[in-house]
Amino acid sequence: MRRGLVICAVAAAVVAGAAGARPLATPGVSSNSIELGGSIPLSGEASAAGNVARGADYYFKYVNDHGGVLGRKISYKYLDDAYDPARAVQNTIRLVQQDQVFGMFNTLGTANNLAIRNFLNDNDVPQLFVAAGATTFGRDYKKYPWTIGYIPTYAEEGRIYGHYILASVKRPRIAVLYQNDEYGRDLLSGLQKGLGKKASTIAAKVGYDPTSSDVQGEVARLKASKANVFMVFAFGKFSLQAFNAVARLNWHPQIFVNDVSSASSLMAIVPQSAANGSISIVFGKDPAAPLWAKDKGVRLFQSILKKYGSGVSSRDLKDGYYVAGMASAFTMVDALKKAGKNLTRAGIVRAATHLNEKNNPFLLPSIVVKTSPTKRFPVTQVRLQRWKGKAWHPFGKLISAQPG
Amino acid sequence: MTPRLKLALEIAAFAAFAFVLSILPRLISDFHTREVAIAGMYYIALLGLGILTGYSGQISLGHGAFMAIGGYATAILSVDHGMSPTWTIPLAGLIAGASGVLVGIPALRLAGIYLAIVTFGIAISVPQLLKKFEGFTGGTTGKYGEGLTSRPPFGLDTSSNHWLYYVTAGISLVLLAVAWAIVRQKPGRALQAIRDSEVAAASSGVSLPLYKTFAFAISAFYAGVAGALYAIANAYVNPDTFQVALSVYLVVGLAVGGLGSLAGLVVGAGLVYFLQFHADTVAGWLDKLPILDLDPKQPGIPSVVFGAVLIVVMLLLPTGAGGLLRRLLRPLTTRLYTRS
Repeated sequence: MRRGLVICAVAAAVVAGAAGARPLATPGVSSNSIELGGSIPLSGEASAAGNVARGADYYFKYVNDHGGVLGRKISYKYLDDAYDPARAVQNTIRLVQQDQVFGMFNTLGTANNLAIRNFLNDNDVPQLFVAAGATTFGRDYKKYPWTIGYIPTYAEEGRIYGHYILASVKRPRIAVLYQNDEYGRDLLSGLQKGLGKKASTIAAKVGYDPTSSDVQGEVARLKASKANVFMVFAFGKFSLQAFNAVARLNWHPQIFVNDVSSASSLMAIVPQSAANGSISIVFGKDPAAPLWAKDKGVRLFQSILKKYGSGVSSRDLKDGYYVAGMASAFTMVDALKKAGKNLTRAGIVRAATHLNEKNNPFLLPSIVVKTSPTKRFPVTQVRLQRWKGKAWHPFGKLISAQPG
Repeated sequence: MTPRLKLALEIAAFAAFAFVLSILPRLISDFHTREVAIAGMYYIALLGLGILTGYSGQISLGHGAFMAIGGYATAILSVDHGMSPTWTIPLAGLIAGASGVLVGIPALRLAGIYLAIVTFGIAISVPQLLKKFEGFTGGTTGKYGEGLTSRPPFGLDTSSNHWLYYVTAGISLVLLAVAWAIVRQKPGRALQAIRDSEVAAASSGVSLPLYKTFAFAISAFYAGVAGALYAIANAYVNPDTFQVALSVYLVVGLAVGGLGSLAGLVVGAGLVYFLQFHADTVAGWLDKLPILDLDPKQPGIPSVVFGAVLIVVMLLLPTGAGGLLRRLLRPLTTRLYTRS
């Protein structure tokens, strides 16, 4: 009886010891593989953005076929969240606890990333290259050391428009249409900051409710302010409506349209009388822009898509979402190389916060992806671009979008 | 003798269910306890919907909205007012229940498909209203924060998944017992009488306004509790958390579980969870079949699989899991009932 107990105790100790020994290895990393996780809308209203994850996935496959990263192949497991933060949380916990991924990469949407940030930081899991423009992901690293952003912030985008207006428009009178939530207000406050003392040149600003069905009335009110500059800080169908209303009202202001609403596919279907001459920012190569038709990076994107994608249409070959995903996947591979052979979670965050990447083929030429432990905004250079003849044409020098 | 036997059987089944729930975390992985807990939240919402639709015959396509009200009540009370999230759960249920009364009043004049349309309107409008009153609800960004994370009390050393599981399982058992007590006693008989014929029920002295409003209130209470737990599970709510589809999923879960069966709803809840979070896994399995080409990463494939599985389930089980259960148990129960 006693001996039985002793045997049981020894067995239990061995089992406990074995279980206790396991966490020493880094989850999601083996001698020949790295597992990354992601959560993205593959269904529902925002499902077009799902191509960001597909683009990244295809790029990783391309890298794997060329030897992988220091002998390891990357597998990227991304799950559908239908743009619902609750599902993003469930996906993230599943990926971290059940699938034991190394880290989360390129999850899309401000709310979804806010929702998973606490869990990931509580569990020391890297939240890498967040696909959302809220400043908090790059700024609040003291509280959330495992999180790092990627794209330029909305606030900086607004500031850049403000600077450009002061430099290029004589006696500006500005009308602003903005979505009345954090996203639209970030752009607006950035614009005000960019205008500085000249913020009074904003003659009228109208916030529309993200739940409203139509913004044409708002545009009519803005036209009545006799403004010669019109800022479209809108989203999806609302920016479509804004362009339609401008054309119908026979208004001819200089239009600025924010990055998220400036997809070539969207700009091509609004009345061109209003769209022509519109200005936006750009940092990734737009495969629909004629300027890049023969560019190496865009060619690479198209060959990767043709090889690894399924059912690729000619529209896919001009879809900027894929390129955006490949751009951040390129940076991810870069960070993994930098983190070295002895890959750990702390190591990848250290690498991601010491980037100095000058050769990302999916971003505009001469953009440097640069980070430091206190500057966690990887892409902080943009150019302006003008819409003409159904295509975007970048102009001017690179502009800094580094939050101050 | 027979009603007593039935009662004894039901109590034994309840005890067995409670026993299984209590040992389950020892048998499955930490993450799977979380999955069961989330399915348990759908089960709680389905219990409420079961009372409303299964027993009183009123169709609601808006129960996701009551979950939203419960979820937001918990989020606002704990994030903005510093309450412990666990203790906000009953309050969230009461607030949702009160809004259920408000919906129940117009429901008195509507029946069948018309009521379904009105409640569907609620499912559509509540997420929009949540975006509108930003100062109160946090707008499109929603409510989140350290305050919404529920931690085990008294320094208990359990994983957060296990804690979530035990809270949800405990509440499920209590609410199952309450639902069972309601449906097998006078209120349940009154509700069934209303379902079968309002005229006959009224002429037998059943107060239609009282019972119909009661059914709405109690089912909204259940949905509110489920929503509160859901908010705690994710430590986050925003309007997209309670999309219109959620209300539809709940009706699907009810149909799969079976109208008028509290036990069958377990299957309904499991299916609602599984098809929402594992439709891609199912698509992956089907993709392995040589005749099908279902790459789960392609747009729309998981949704198609969701629909197809649903059609197959309803073809095989037209009366839901509850109906199947009754059919399977019939030889046993008829023998027991007719012996004395």
